[in-house]
Amino acid sequence: MKKTPLALLFTLGALSAPSFAADASSLDLVQPISDYKIYVTDEVGKLVTETKAFTDAVKKGDIATAKKLYPTTRVHYEAIEPIAELFSDLDAAIDSREDDHENGVKADDFTGFHRIEYGLWAQNTTKGYEGFADGLNNDVLRLQKQIADLTFPPEKVVGGAAALMEEVAATKVSGEEDRYSHTDLYDFQSNVDGAKKIVDLFKPQIVKKDKAFADKLDKNFATVDAILAKYKTKGGGFETYDKVKDADRKALIGPVNTLAEDLSTLRGKLGLD
Amino acid sequence: MSDKDQAPHSPDRRRVLLGLGAAGAALAGSGLACPMMAHAASSEEHKVTEAPKSDKTQDRHVYEGVHQSGIVNARPAAGMMVAFDVLAADRESLQRMFRVLDERIRFLMQGGPVEDIDPKLPPLDSGILGPNVTPDNLTITVSVGASLFDERYGLAPHKPKQLIRMVGFPNDALEADRCHGDLTLQFCSNTPDTNIHALRDIVKNLPDLLYVRWKQEGSVPAQAPAKPGEPEQSARNFLGFRDGSANPDSNDSRAMDQIVWVQPGGPEPAWATHGSYQAVRIIRNYVERWDRTPLQEQETIFGRKKASGAPMDGAHEFDIPDYHKDPEGKVTALKSHIRLANPRTPEAQANLILRRPFNYSNGVMKNGQLDMGLLFICYQADLLKGFITVQTRLNGEPLEEYLKPTGGGYFFTLPGVTGKDDFIGRSLLQAAEKGKTA
Repeated sequence: MKKTPLALLFTLGALSAPSFAADASSLDLVQPISDYKIYVTDEVGKLVTETKAFTDAVKKGDIATAKKLYPTTRVHYEAIEPIAELFSDLDAAIDSREDDHENGVKADDFTGFHRIEYGLWAQNTTKGYEGFADGLNNDVLRLQKQIADLTFPPEKVVGGAAALMEEVAATKVSGEEDRYSHTDLYDFQSNVDGAKKIVDLFKPQIVKKDKAFADKLDKNFATVDAILAKYKTKGGGFETYDKVKDADRKALIGPVNTLAEDLSTLRGKLGLD
Repeated sequence: MSDKDQAPHSPDRRRVLLGLGAAGAALAGSGLACPMMAHAASSEEHKVTEAPKSDKTQDRHVYEGVHQSGIVNARPAAGMMVAFDVLAADRESLQRMFRVLDERIRFLMQGGPVEDIDPKLPPLDSGILGPNVTPDNLTITVSVGASLFDERYGLAPHKPKQLIRMVGFPNDALEADRCHGDLTLQFCSNTPDTNIHALRDIVKNLPDLLYVRWKQEGSVPAQAPAKPGEPEQSARNFLGFRDGSANPDSNDSRAMDQIVWVQPGGPEPAWATHGSYQAVRIIRNYVERWDRTPLQEQETIFGRKKASGAPMDGAHEFDIPDYHKDPEGKVTALKSHIRLANPRTPEAQANLILRRPFNYSNGVMKNGQLDMGLLFICYQADLLKGFITVQTRLNGEPLEEYLKPTGGGYFFTLPGVTGKDDFIGRSLLQAAEKGKTA
């Protein structure tokens, strides 16, 4: 099932012209891409296991357990979003938000995590959500299978670091992701961790090209992590997003946007299309 | 791409340029038009308040015609789409609505002095264009939505065959309060102020009959004059790419009859002849993210070179891409925007549309990112073969990562007003009356 590193190299995304394979330096990328697939496979495995427990709680009507499992289950999706989003139908079914639908919460195709989040927090119920629970469970299983069959396009993997910071900049900073539960900080941290994972895997190549750039990335990741750490709870979770002080929200924006800018150059720096 | 000046039926010829000389004279006579106060320190204050000059304030389009104006003529710098709910209680009131609308559009497109009344009363006009209303190239194009054909006015049997309430596409995140409507007015003129003046006039004159549902303004950036021997260049959208390069030639009246205007004897009701389907989309652009995207990817996504607007296999904006030579998409990606939108096959000729978009910029979103994008407007004789087919081909295109359609709707642009006694909407109302007695 696991593709050989060279197969990874020669199968590219539909958009990119297959030019980089000839570049000798790109052979350096085979190992980190292979390692990244292992990471994603591990995360999606946890997503499947924990989604089962979460949706079982919903189906049993155990609101307290469902609420407890909701944010910690989602983090496994948020961390691998650039890969998960390659399957746009599944992404919409699993992770679309109320504002993605003209009819809002009443839309028939508003399903997945946020649909159940609406039930748990806005309505304080699991009644009538059994179907959504089954649907979500099936969808993450399908996602796991599709990811297993996927040849990871190198430019999507490296570009994923930027894509994750774009997620943070677009939907996490404003607190619009988890609008009913306000558990945004879990997603926030998870997007950042996912981006940092990619940077860490390619760290030797980045340092070789531009040491100062690598240091700047690390510094901004550390700033974001330090601010987020202020809101960690004893149980390892996070405070709700409304608890985040205005000054801290502002202090997050600078490093987040700078990371988005800097990481947008990563593919080019590594010679990828 | 044909030479616009050679076209015998140039719609711009409908513009009457009579007032030009008078406007120039008026400016010369005004104190504000003093010759370049470059050296005088004492006139610094004047320089700040001095208004920008235009020699086009008396440009006007002819209101009467087989087709409505504001479709095949060149886009001016300022556009505004306003959707209304119609408040008329019955068909008689609906007719009054169309008649008042007709009267106001005639005046606003023609211009002229505003009547003075007793100053103890509110003035008849907002006054934002002064006591003498300038046409300033204004067109107001009237279209109706599917909801006008519900049970209220007995118009259901007369609904254009393809007119439906817009259904969201997979990448849409439609906001209910920026979608649909019973009626749209498309305002186009040289300045946003002229459009706003016209809207306020209509709102003031139809308080009991029209209710503003949503509004979106937009602009077209002015281009430097074409160099001798070179074609005009299309304006750029907020993604920095030229928009409209592949548009059919709106000076070609035969092409417009095929692509834009409903023809007699077809499947559409007779009253709808010379009308058109109008598709409107408010398409947010994620510009920060776009600006963080490598140039070659931007160009791959569009299928055009950013600087010149040329297709990937061409050198100039209006070069026609040859996809036959590139079946695997090695030069122009198979999923690039322009290749999906117009694959340049004989069959795809049936899906041509006339695009007439404006750039919009609204403010800032909750996340601190800029709320801007494209006010997409297009016209076609066949909505299904036109916009709906083209957009369906675009579903899943890589450009979607940077776009979020949030509003708009489908409308039917009414046939033109053919004489002094005619009024906008007359053919529809007459068809309904006949239907009643028949």
